[in-house]
Amino acid sequence: MSPSLARKLPLVLAAIVALALPLVLRSPTYLHILILLYLYAYLTTSWNLVGGFAGVLPLGHATFVGIGAYTSTILSLQYGISPWIGMLVGAVLASIVGVIIGLPTFKMRGAYFALATIAFAEGIRVMTENIDTLGPFQINGPRGLQIPPLTTGFASFMFATKEPYYYIILAMLAGVLALTWFISRSKLGYYLVAGGEEPEAAQALGVNVARAKLIAMAMSSFLTAFAGTFWAQFTLYIHPKSVMSLDISFEIAFIALIGGRGSIAGPVLGALLLRPVGDFSRIYFGDTVPGLHLIIFGVVLILVMFFQPRGLQEPLTRIYTRVVDRLAGVREAA
Amino acid sequence: MNLLELKNVRKHFGGIKAIENFSLNVGEREIVGLIGPNGAGKSTLFNCVAGVFPPTFGDILFQGDRINRQKPWDLCRKGLARTFQIVKPFASRTVLYNVMVGAFAGTDKRAEAERRARAVLEQLNLGHLADQRAGNLTIADRKRLEIAKALATRPRLLLLDEVMAGLRPTEVDEMVAIIKRLREGGMTVFVIEHIMRAIMALSDRVAVLHFGVKIAEGTPQEVAHDERVIKAYLGDEYAAA
Repeated sequence: MSPSLARKLPLVLAAIVALALPLVLRSPTYLHILILLYLYAYLTTSWNLVGGFAGVLPLGHATFVGIGAYTSTILSLQYGISPWIGMLVGAVLASIVGVIIGLPTFKMRGAYFALATIAFAEGIRVMTENIDTLGPFQINGPRGLQIPPLTTGFASFMFATKEPYYYIILAMLAGVLALTWFISRSKLGYYLVAGGEEPEAAQALGVNVARAKLIAMAMSSFLTAFAGTFWAQFTLYIHPKSVMSLDISFEIAFIALIGGRGSIAGPVLGALLLRPVGDFSRIYFGDTVPGLHLIIFGVVLILVMFFQPRGLQEPLTRIYTRVVDRLAGVREAA
Repeated sequence: MNLLELKNVRKHFGGIKAIENFSLNVGEREIVGLIGPNGAGKSTLFNCVAGVFPPTFGDILFQGDRINRQKPWDLCRKGLARTFQIVKPFASRTVLYNVMVGAFAGTDKRAEAERRARAVLEQLNLGHLADQRAGNLTIADRKRLEIAKALATRPRLLLLDEVMAGLRPTEVDEMVAIIKRLREGGMTVFVIEHIMRAIMALSDRVAVLHFGVKIAEGTPQEVAHDERVIKAYLGDEYAAA
């Protein structure tokens, strides 16, 4: 067996396991945990287009989750438009907002950019909380919007069980990973990395750094909004705190930093490591030590930044290829 | 025909006059050197030409077009590439990746960019380092990588900003040979350099910048014997010798 084939084989196995898991795992709680895990892996992968490849640290992506959730929900509640179409409308809207936020903020560097994105996101959340109606649209301020589960089925993006949600978010994750892989090997991917690492040198090599970043931002916010619609249809109740809060933006950044920014595997690894920690600490210590998962996140982040500043993806990939190669080698010898 | 023309270029930063009335022509397939003591304004001049900032007065013409206010990335696509005095590799990526960023200026296809990048790496004897991380290279290899990135954009005019500073003598000779080979391939080179041995061996013509003013221009021999140049470099007491 060739090494490259051997390295791909476990990934295929992982995909098969992911597909088969709901058949074995009957507990809705575990499915719920997995769905959130995939959702955060999806969110972080979308974020990674800007936060990873373009080398900046946006901390306001919850805005795009919110735009996606509110757009599809309002369109379906008030106009009876399918959430699938609302999902696309929300994504277009989010990418427009993303570019508007990006235009002034991409001129800033480092912490200033991060702070500016927080300011935008918080501003939009506070405004949403204080608006009951926006023109013809019912927003309901802090009370949020409830989606009555009248008709279940694929067309209405509403299901009585968790399995369909599981497969939808799994498909979304697979799609966004494939897209990221494709972009990382394209001219845009090279330009984003170059512009993120050494903007002046990149510009001298023909890279319009600002334009590359804006394209990445538009794509990233577009994809992030999809997750918002998914979240709305999954929980059937959204309010500004649930879909626009800083907690979401921070958790995305946590996952990316720990997993490894700018790599394809990083966001997935980060979500695999952090989400279960968060969920199980909430399940077992939620009453006694609320907020424990945030403390654990913080400690893990400090340790990772100290020992593996480029994220856990790097050492794990190394171990992975070594183990797989050895296994493949053993098989060849036998 | 002159590939690059500088006409009465001035660059002022507030009250500081970094460059005063600098004029120079660089002809096709010429190697022109620009020398001068530290702080003379050499890199500032390069930055004006490469579009980092526009000159305060005067005109810069490339292939006959006025390029005063054009951006670096547009100039690069027109065939003007530069290196940086302080090398700027994309340190976390491989050498090949670095050069491919340059190669993408001329193509949208990954395979073609990789082909061009590998060709440039071979040309500069960097082929064996293609899969090394750029951050791990020695200073000599980083300087060559800097040229490789610029060459991958397939320029007509190459601006080299002190690509030999910090190199050992044998490495300098190697670099001189590389640059001469580029010119044989049809390239025009405008080079800032401190190492006199290199600039003398390389240049068809040399211009000398001192406190933002051009104090001499001519063949390397003429410039080396110019009294003002000797004064600028070594001080008044050496002028008599």
